[in-house]
Amino acid sequence: MGGEEFAVGCLLSIKTTLGDEFEGQIISYDRLSNILVLQEGLESGPRRNIRLLKADYIKDFSLLRQDEDPLDVKKCFLDLTTLQAREDSAIRQAESDSERFGVGVTSEAQTLFDALSRTLPVRWDKTVIVVMNEVRVSSPYLPESVSGGTPAANERVRKVLEFERKRIQTRGTSQ
Amino acid sequence: MGLKNRVEEENCSMSEVLLFATMSIIGLQVDAHLKDGSVYSGIFHTASVEKEYGIVLKKAKLTKKGRCATNVVSGSVVDTLVILAGDLVQVVAKGVPLPFDGFAGNIAIGNGEVASEILPSSANPLNGTKKLNASTVDERKRNTKRNSARNENEFADSFIPTNTGKEDEGQKLLENPMANGKEVEHQKRDETHVEQREDTSGATIARRQVGEDRSQLSQDELGQKFEFHVERSEKEVQQSVSSCESSATDTLKPVDGEHDNPCCERPSAIDIHQDAVCSGVSTSNPVVNVTPESCQRSFANPTAIIPPQSSELNKNSKEFKLNPGAKIFSPSFVTAISAAPPLVPTVANVSYIPGNSPMVAVAGSQPEVGMGTFAPRSSTPSKFVSYGNISAATGVSGSQFSQPIVGHMGNRTQPLRYASQYHPVQAAPAYLNPSSQAVMFGHLGQLICVPVSHDLVPSAAAISPEPARPPLSPHQVQFPKHQGSAPGQALQLCVPQPFIAGGQPPLAVPSHIPYLHAPYPVNRPVQIPGSNGLFSTKLP
Repeated sequence: MGGEEFAVGCLLSIKTTLGDEFEGQIISYDRLSNILVLQEGLESGPRRNIRLLKADYIKDFSLLRQDEDPLDVKKCFLDLTTLQAREDSAIRQAESDSERFGVGVTSEAQTLFDALSRTLPVRWDKTVIVVMNEVRVSSPYLPESVSGGTPAANERVRKVLEFERKRIQTRGTSQ
Repeated sequence: MGLKNRVEEENCSMSEVLLFATMSIIGLQVDAHLKDGSVYSGIFHTASVEKEYGIVLKKAKLTKKGRCATNVVSGSVVDTLVILAGDLVQVVAKGVPLPFDGFAGNIAIGNGEVASEILPSSANPLNGTKKLNASTVDERKRNTKRNSARNENEFADSFIPTNTGKEDEGQKLLENPMANGKEVEHQKRDETHVEQREDTSGATIARRQVGEDRSQLSQDELGQKFEFHVERSEKEVQQSVSSCESSATDTLKPVDGEHDNPCCERPSAIDIHQDAVCSGVSTSNPVVNVTPESCQRSFANPTAIIPPQSSELNKNSKEFKLNPGAKIFSPSFVTAISAAPPLVPTVANVSYIPGNSPMVAVAGSQPEVGMGTFAPRSSTPSKFVSYGNISAATGVSGSQFSQPIVGHMGNRTQPLRYASQYHPVQAAPAYLNPSSQAVMFGHLGQLICVPVSHDLVPSAAAISPEPARPPLSPHQVQFPKHQGSAPGQALQLCVPQPFIAGGQPPLAVPSHIPYLHAPYPVNRPVQIPGSNGLFSTKLP
């Protein structure tokens, strides 16, 4: 691809060496890093899908049409504060999500976790559901799998677990 | 047309549009495709734009496994993931707000006036930090309102030491040199976060350069700035890391041993590494660098990374001497921070202002200014963890603060303590205790309003002339006249504050540092960093 000048505004259909195929309109091309900035997807609205593609990996492309530069230079602003805030909130969200979603657990386990989390404080510890920081429910997440904690807490978790399992079962069968 | 000429504009630094696009996707969930076919999904954090394009994702997950083996477990979350330029194929971001034709500007600007203020003053969009500084100085003087454009102080404030005590984690990661992926000490990665945070204070305008001269300059400056940011952070990290350098180095050593890297370009790894690593400040979370097993690359020697910064910083220092006394406005990415050597001693620049203690203004750019008013003399450098504060305190040229901050970062082991009798030094940006009521550390976009206890009132008079002092005037948040303010709220000092993660300590902030979180009790003596005898109780 070297030497080719990518004209801004061109709508290309690109095939990458990895097998991706998509259409995008060129917003910019940076020669130094050989990165093509494309916008793709819906044309409506101020939000677009942006793709930063390294031109090295373009296997094939074809020009669909030539349009004007889609980016309005005069309106290019960056509010760093907002950017920072956006990132921070995204990270917070990701952190809370990571506690909610177990890694390497079955969807049934996740469902149980979600069900338990409605009434009990739960968190994941690898593939073990830790309830109230003391009771542990490990695979296969049966009432017998409940261990730890005070007898009262243990009992409570068992009951809730049984209840939720039944609910999931009945819900599953009724659907 | 000029637009079409964009492609030909720059030849030595990254195009503005790419930079703009890069910044526009910060904080968004993106998918990064690697050349081995794997796809990582994470929050776009930063990118290294020098020479090549490498990126850093936060909270990344491997969503599609590729050909190469990797040490990242599919589905597990990697706190900070560095994807080197050589591996990166494409980055896909959805729902990016860009100013396309017919639509408003990018991300909503908090203050319309800010943008308008910035626009005329800055010749170069991203590079215009210097100019912005100069032009907004006057505005600053008059304008006490929160202004996201006031980057300088924020910038300084935003420097957050990423030196966490969790080097052991990093160490744990690196203990296995034969791990498929390269795990870079999280410290380094966090630096990028730091830099980004610093950079993001204030608002910058990115405009496509149509004019050749402007574009050329801006391109250069952009490139420099971005680089600066990285470099500066490196330098800061370097110094801040001094205390943990050994551990950092140690942790990295095993990694250095790996050399079989058939398909990875060494330079690209190093580039990224340098850029991202310089942070050096340890982060609490392990950083995993995606490196397919078959393409292992050795990480640049961490020690090697550190040295370049000073040269970089110094090299650029002269470029930012628009107004020696002025604080340089530097947007986060394009930190026009030139490490100004004279500022190194300006520990005083950093002013930590606990919620209830009298506010001690941050020293201005000049060391003496900063030193002047702090009554407490702390010989030991206080732990200026706020980092953001410290740097912000400098408020002064972004370049300036970075250095002094760095110097102190590493040494800070004790919380900054204010003596209640201390007179506020200056209106210079003051770092506010996150617990301070008026200022939400991290909540305030730009300005920090510090409630000052009545203790300050007596000394208020002494302070008031301060804002008039030339060194202080630049962009320093106007030091409001606080004489006669009611006790308990004697002073409402609005200081531009670098953006700190709202409601939550910045990622770079080591969690073990209680500093940020614990509210400062009233009258707790505070040691102003660098206030080794230079502070005087009386304002000059």
